[in-house]
Amino acid sequence: MRTLWKRLRALFSERRSDRELSEEVEVHLEMRAAELRQQGVDPGAAREAARREFGGIEQMKEAYRDRRGIPWIEILAKDARYGLRGLLRNPAFTLAAVLSLALGIGANTAIFSFIDTLMLRMLPVEKPEQLVNLYRTGGWGKGYASYPLYLEFRKHTDLFAGVFARSGAGKVRFDAGHSNSVEYVEREYVTGNYFDVLGVKPAIGRLFKDEDNRTPQAHPLVVLSYDFWRNRLALDPAILGRVLTVDEQPLTVIGVAAPGFHGVEVESHADAWVPAMMFRGQIMQHGMHWVWIMARRRPEIRRGRIQAAANTIMQQYLMSVYGGQRASAFGRFALAQKIEVRDAGVGISMLREAFGKPLGILMAAVGLVLLIACANVANLLIARGAVRRREIAMRFSLGATRWRLVRQWLIESLLLALLGSILGLAFAIWGERYMLLFLPPGAGEGFAVSPDSTVLTFTLGISILSAVLFGLAPALRATSLDPAAALKDGGSQQPGRGARAVFRKALVVVQVALSVVLVVTAGLFAHSLAGLRSINPGFVAQNVVTFSLDYPRAWKDADKRNHRERLLAELTEVPGIASVSYGMPGPYQGGDASASIRVPGSARTAKEGVEISEQFIGPAYFATIGIRPLRGREFDPGDWRSTRKIAVVNEAFVRQFLPGTPDPTGRILSFDDSKPEGGDPTYIVGLVHDILHDGLKTTAKSTVYVPLRESGFIDPMLLVRAQLPPASLLPVIRRELSSINPEVALVEPRTLRERVDDSIFADRMIATLSGFFGGLALLLAAIGIYGVMAYAVTRRTAEIGLRIALGAAPAKITWMVLRDGLLLIALGVAIGLPFALAAGRISASLLYGIKPNDPLTFGLTIAVLLAIGVLAAFLPARRAAAVEPVEALRHE
Amino acid sequence: MSTRNANPDVLQGTLDLMVLRTLETMGPQHGFGLAKRIQQISAGALDLNQGTLYPALLRLEQRGWISSRWGASDKNRRAKFYELTRAGRKQIGRATDDWERTVALMARFLRVAE
Repeated sequence: MRTLWKRLRALFSERRSDRELSEEVEVHLEMRAAELRQQGVDPGAAREAARREFGGIEQMKEAYRDRRGIPWIEILAKDARYGLRGLLRNPAFTLAAVLSLALGIGANTAIFSFIDTLMLRMLPVEKPEQLVNLYRTGGWGKGYASYPLYLEFRKHTDLFAGVFARSGAGKVRFDAGHSNSVEYVEREYVTGNYFDVLGVKPAIGRLFKDEDNRTPQAHPLVVLSYDFWRNRLALDPAILGRVLTVDEQPLTVIGVAAPGFHGVEVESHADAWVPAMMFRGQIMQHGMHWVWIMARRRPEIRRGRIQAAANTIMQQYLMSVYGGQRASAFGRFALAQKIEVRDAGVGISMLREAFGKPLGILMAAVGLVLLIACANVANLLIARGAVRRREIAMRFSLGATRWRLVRQWLIESLLLALLGSILGLAFAIWGERYMLLFLPPGAGEGFAVSPDSTVLTFTLGISILSAVLFGLAPALRATSLDPAAALKDGGSQQPGRGARAVFRKALVVVQVALSVVLVVTAGLFAHSLAGLRSINPGFVAQNVVTFSLDYPRAWKDADKRNHRERLLAELTEVPGIASVSYGMPGPYQGGDASASIRVPGSARTAKEGVEISEQFIGPAYFATIGIRPLRGREFDPGDWRSTRKIAVVNEAFVRQFLPGTPDPTGRILSFDDSKPEGGDPTYIVGLVHDILHDGLKTTAKSTVYVPLRESGFIDPMLLVRAQLPPASLLPVIRRELSSINPEVALVEPRTLRERVDDSIFADRMIATLSGFFGGLALLLAAIGIYGVMAYAVTRRTAEIGLRIALGAAPAKITWMVLRDGLLLIALGVAIGLPFALAAGRISASLLYGIKPNDPLTFGLTIAVLLAIGVLAAFLPARRAAAVEPVEALRHE
Repeated sequence: MSTRNANPDVLQGTLDLMVLRTLETMGPQHGFGLAKRIQQISAGALDLNQGTLYPALLRLEQRGWISSRWGASDKNRRAKFYELTRAGRKQIGRATDDWERTVALMARFLRVAE
């Protein structure tokens, strides 16, 4: 071992030891020559004699080098060749082992590469570990903050070396002047110090400075990403100074950012950075939340201190802005906002929160799958070791040391693992593609499907680890024998076979126990998903296509309204389309609008206004999403011609503000919350049941639907209900759209069902994948049980034959073997259950509508495992019952 | 025994023990010192290419029987010194026993031949 280590080390320090050897030889020659000179030999002759006595220097060095490193590699290569030959001689064994390992390693690689992208990979910027995200919570939405708040934090240079803000990438029109079709680019607004604080360098040209972001609408500049420059502009160096039209703003290209930099968000990449001052909105409005604030903290300041300071800064800022409205519901809502200082070295991610924990649980699950696979391969290897005893004994007697044999064995294991990981990588790439299908559109962009070096290292690591895991025990076992005895008995009878059988059975018990954990969690997630699916969202999602429209920038609100009305009118005429409407935010759009109201006569609003959520909708909205008002009516086009303010409310609204009122129509509410009785009245004309507009896991909120008159900043989502399948409906919509005005583009068409699915993508993914892994675990465990039982029957053929000869009924023999199998399973289940309970508790936060110790799931798991066990043990049992006593005894 | 064409395997085994014994009696030595001492003791019976000593030293070091370090020679030159380790001392005991057994065995055969 020590020799091996020294040689290994020598491999890496070859040049140094060559130099040392030369020096050593030189010293030797010099000493001898000096000795000869002292005896009176003249210097030239002395040197010559010393050389002669030394012999061939180069020959010696060659021998020395051989001794130093090469034999080690040679032996390794020899072992590997020998191992490969052995594996090829047993294709069935090799295939089974490699396939088990490939499934385990592939699943691990796939899940790990998601975890790596989402949570581990550092941003390609300077000292990413110093970056923090000032994440806003409470009040409206999460994460996004206002530009004035950014300016506030920027003042605190004692805490931060730099503070910047960015809007997040958004798809906008792009025109380089050489294409007729509408092209899009991911545009992101950033502050002038964005690149400076991140420490990103330009590839060509220059990047923004603070001077590039001073005055609203005065900095028509753009910095491009390297990928965009390469993929869309063919690395054209003349791009600097050119004017590109981005979102209909003419912008001058001043530079291209360093290769590899895509912005600070994991799953969505920016292509074009534009100064925040070019944003077309009320940038200094306190209530306008549109930027993420990030900062580089001073390295000497602790995270805890920054959090404490951020709390104070936020408190003071909120008081200065909303302090006057402290008494109102709105004021309290606004004042409840907080800043959370989060590490941002791995970038910002919208998915991390929803997706991180499911990924963690899936990682644990695939770890268990790999363990089960390793147990299977170990089992196969032990069986193979039994067969190869003769060969091992032979090699022992030919003088091989035990270490040499163990090493040979481990190299075979390593070969298996490496073959498994190559196939596993292919599985992983396929698996990742499949996983990406679960993600909402656009969210998968940051996930590279081809594995990078971190992922490859991980794969190599786990394959080596598993080789040791499944290879070491069988290797030690196979080589612990008395060669003389083994040779004598020809390898059929085995001393210590009892211990071997116990070890194999223990492996099966472990497999079953691990399977219990996987199958229980898979069952829990499947139940949870079924629960989510059975929730009534309040609308009928089938046959509804939704989409947004992208209008030319110059269009005023009235132009958009006219266009929308025309499109609605045209589409309503199309045969097969039942109903068309629009809504803002609309179902599953992820937006949020709220207002503070008073309801005259309601005790809830007697003292102060109360926040409700607000939906701006078009005529026939409810008909389009497939529901009818419970009372009163919904809006019709006539309501847009009248100035009378009207609203439709939901049942939650009635429960909260008008309890005990069966029919709220005719009652009034007011969006003027300054007086207890409200101001300008809005008449309630209809009542609808609760609709879960925000997601299946939310509870219904008091909602007021009002006619959408001015769309303001966000354009509404359009909804079309039709008898046509979505695939044939979309071309119709596109045709109508371009016949009215080809300049208006269709954005993000999704069926309503897809939007609902997107909202529970993590639940769907974890349920599907854990189901797959649970199934895989069962399959592997079944193979393990079958292998051990079949082996046991073979071993006991003589005994069974004797029993039959003595009159045992075949049924009794079958039962005898089955009982053994069931015993193993029962033991595995008993060991696995407590772990399954723990796994359920860990997953509890991801479960919906089901307890982590759901007795049905646990009961079913046990039943399934017993069934699988009976199935796997039945074949060997039947074979045992069919043993011919005469044959069996002759066999002995 | 005293020819250049001596079986290298035989020579290897003997050379190892010669080096170990020399280090045991003389303490730490550089390569030249060892070569000189071995030739002195063999009194010319062993016509050794001094260079062959170095691969042997490497082998002994890899086995952990000797260790090496760079130091200054008596003439104040930088030289590599070899020293016996504890494992090396044990090895001398084992190898000596083996040799004595082999010699005794061979002696019996040679007597029979007479």
